[in-house]
Amino acid sequence: MRILLDKFSKSFGTTKVIEDLTLEVADGEMLALLGPSGCGKSTTLFAICGIHKVTGGRILFGDRDVTDLPSQARSVGVVFQSYALYPHMTVAENIAFPLQVKKVAPDQIKREVDAIAALVHIENLLGRRPAELSGGQQQRVALARALVRKPDVLLLDEPLANLDAKLRLEMRSEIRRIQLETGITAILVTHDQVEAMSMCDRIAIMNAGEIVQLATPTEMYHNPRTAFVAGFLGNPPIAFLRGTARDGGFALDNSDIRLPLPVGTLSPADGSKLTLGIRPEDFGPLGDIAIPGKVSFVETQGRENLYDVRLADGSVLRSIQPVRGDIAVGNEVAWSASGAKVMVFGENGARI
Amino acid sequence: MNSSRSLGLMLLTPAIVLVVLFFLVPVALTAVFSFTNMSTATGITGGAYQIGPSSLQRLGDKYGFPELAERLSQPSYVIDERGLVALDAAGVDASTITEMRTHLGEVFPTRREAERMIKGLSARPSTREVKQISEQFNRSLLDTRYESEGDLLAGLDALGVEVTPAERDAVAASSYSGWTWTTDNFRRMVSTPDTLRTLINTVFYVAIVLVLFNTGYAMFLAITTYYMPETTGGIFRSIWLLPRITPPVIYVLMWKWLAWDTGFISMFLGQFGVAPKNWMLDSSTNAWVFVILINGFVGASMGMPVFSSALRAIPKSQFYASEVDGASRWQQIRYIILPQMRWPILFVTCYQTLSLLASFDLILLSTEGGPGGATEVWSLMTYHTALNNYAGNLEYGYGTALSLVLVVIGVTLSLIYLRVFNYNALVAKPLIEQ
Ligand SMILES: Nc1ncnc2c1ncn2[C@@H]1O[C@H](COP(=O)(O)OP(=O)(O)OP(=O)(O)O)[C@@H](O)[C@H]1O
Ligand SMILES: [Mg+2]
Repeated sequence: MRILLDKFSKSFGTTKVIEDLTLEVADGEMLALLGPSGCGKSTTLFAICGIHKVTGGRILFGDRDVTDLPSQARSVGVVFQSYALYPHMTVAENIAFPLQVKKVAPDQIKREVDAIAALVHIENLLGRRPAELSGGQQQRVALARALVRKPDVLLLDEPLANLDAKLRLEMRSEIRRIQLETGITAILVTHDQVEAMSMCDRIAIMNAGEIVQLATPTEMYHNPRTAFVAGFLGNPPIAFLRGTARDGGFALDNSDIRLPLPVGTLSPADGSKLTLGIRPEDFGPLGDIAIPGKVSFVETQGRENLYDVRLADGSVLRSIQPVRGDIAVGNEVAWSASGAKVMVFGENGARI
Repeated sequence: MNSSRSLGLMLLTPAIVLVVLFFLVPVALTAVFSFTNMSTATGITGGAYQIGPSSLQRLGDKYGFPELAERLSQPSYVIDERGLVALDAAGVDASTITEMRTHLGEVFPTRREAERMIKGLSARPSTREVKQISEQFNRSLLDTRYESEGDLLAGLDALGVEVTPAERDAVAASSYSGWTWTTDNFRRMVSTPDTLRTLINTVFYVAIVLVLFNTGYAMFLAITTYYMPETTGGIFRSIWLLPRITPPVIYVLMWKWLAWDTGFISMFLGQFGVAPKNWMLDSSTNAWVFVILINGFVGASMGMPVFSSALRAIPKSQFYASEVDGASRWQQIRYIILPQMRWPILFVTCYQTLSLLASFDLILLSTEGGPGGATEVWSLMTYHTALNNYAGNLEYGYGTALSLVLVVIGVTLSLIYLRVFNYNALVAKPLIEQ
């Protein structure tokens, strides 16, 4: 079911957290709400599920205005960051709870609990209590409980934050699989860009209570609208060079390095401040804009190596390349950036 | 290893000493005293042997020697040959002895009468001599105090009373005025009809106050204030703490003002033509209503903060989760809050049962167990028996026997509670830390 946030605002007392935020999530879509800590992701989520009353604007599920409905009447499933399992109930009782309070017949509850437990692969844990489960198992129970009454909307608040790296990888694809299988409209709150990119159809990047960009992961990665977005996506992250526009080119601050601007860039006014963004995979032996520097750090990642190259002004570019033995810390290198991939941002951070 | 063990013992010592001094010794002493018949009459130190009207009564009725009792109760001063011989030995002059002989066979029930006769002798003996003479004719053990059984028996011999060994023992036992070991307290408890009534009163009182107020009402307050806005809830919680902070005497006095025939209720109802009366002591139903309310409000103010803080310890996210799961407020209370309150409920139930069983101060101050014993509970009965009663004979032995019953009931109930609330499961360690 489609979710529409229409000019929604939320403040706590005098603190304005969200102002006039508009966001539409299509039916069956999984959307990531990605942003740094404290930007208002959870607040948005809590407003959608009705835990917090909104202070302005409307929230629509399909064509139904749910703005003034209490949580109980909204038909949302929520997986909380802490899972919020009921410690005194068994796994089966936890999952059955949303049906139990709806007074569904016991044999039907049992059927549905079994079905959903099979979906999230926890059939063998139904008799245990939450305290007897691992983090990943608790996470699956929370997911099952959120899904069991077939809500219109599934909300996930940093569901993977408490898991270790391996489990996180596994649960990422699990959650996506379940979302696709059930076809439910879902919003995933996270501050992990890998999670957002790998699990979701679209990403909404939030900063300070506003949505900065809403796009598919690929679009967002290759075509960030601001330096903030570019900096948020990608691991290892994009490197920025700060400089000034001069004679249609880019002069790196505090050095005599001059670089041409990528083809197709609107020529900025002479003397205006510019920032170049260069992703690690776009900087290496094969590019067309040579940037001399000295290797300051080599991080071995197994299949690939990550090289930090310190430029004359002290700023650092990153290059990711297949493992090679001929480069060591201290070596002078003259690698190049691929001109077509270099991103140029103006003084306010917006892409030029 | 060794030194750490002895260090542990050393650290434990103060606790052990305190436990023994303040917990085990009182219970042990209660058990010991409950098997005695100590009272104001017997004193709590050892007693003496004294034959008197009541001991003779006992000798006849209880020990089955009525003739012996009759014999011992006979008038006491007899002018006989033996006395005259003794007078001679004591150096009394012969003329006096001769004159005494004229009274041979006369019997005087008291010393005073015997001495009046002696004073009338022509020799006009001095007061000191009168005493000396009368002493020789004292043929009674009545009202003479003997420090030990041996003295008593010597006195019996001196009197020349022929007794069998069984009779000797009976006389000694019946004339002992101090306390003795006995199981009569428990026999008496079972056979007195008041005991059953007090027991029923106690069960009724404890159950009603515990269920309605100490847990029920306290839980109601905790939950309602939890759902209130923070400051409003805080204000209400402090108001409900007032009865606990007020000194009991003042607190009960305020209830009495409410209930007196010139008090608030009477005045208010007077507006509608109802005759003023003491509403608290008017009928046993009214007395119970007041006793329960008075104790209930104080009791609730103990459970409320306990439940409130336990409620706060439940993570907020569980409330959020249950709301989005569709639970109404009532379902939230029923399925999320109450099951997680087992431990505080156990604590309050256990603690309050014991304190309700043991404390009687508010009842004593308000109804004093009245009207006519209607609100007399076990601990108050103990108090009335052992420490303050109308008859004036404080029965320590019987009182401690009564309180021993309270101790046994208290310990039993605690064990049952732990069983019912499955204490072991509550304190069991989870496999994975939360
Ligand atoms: N109950 C509240 N009262 C006042 N301010 C609040 C309240 N809840 C959240 N805030 C503020 O609102 C802002 C957004 O909070 P929110 O919890 O939505 O952040 P978030 O994006 O979920 O961050 P995180 O990734 O750390 O969970 C924060 O600055 C926070 O301090
Ligand atoms: Mg959050």
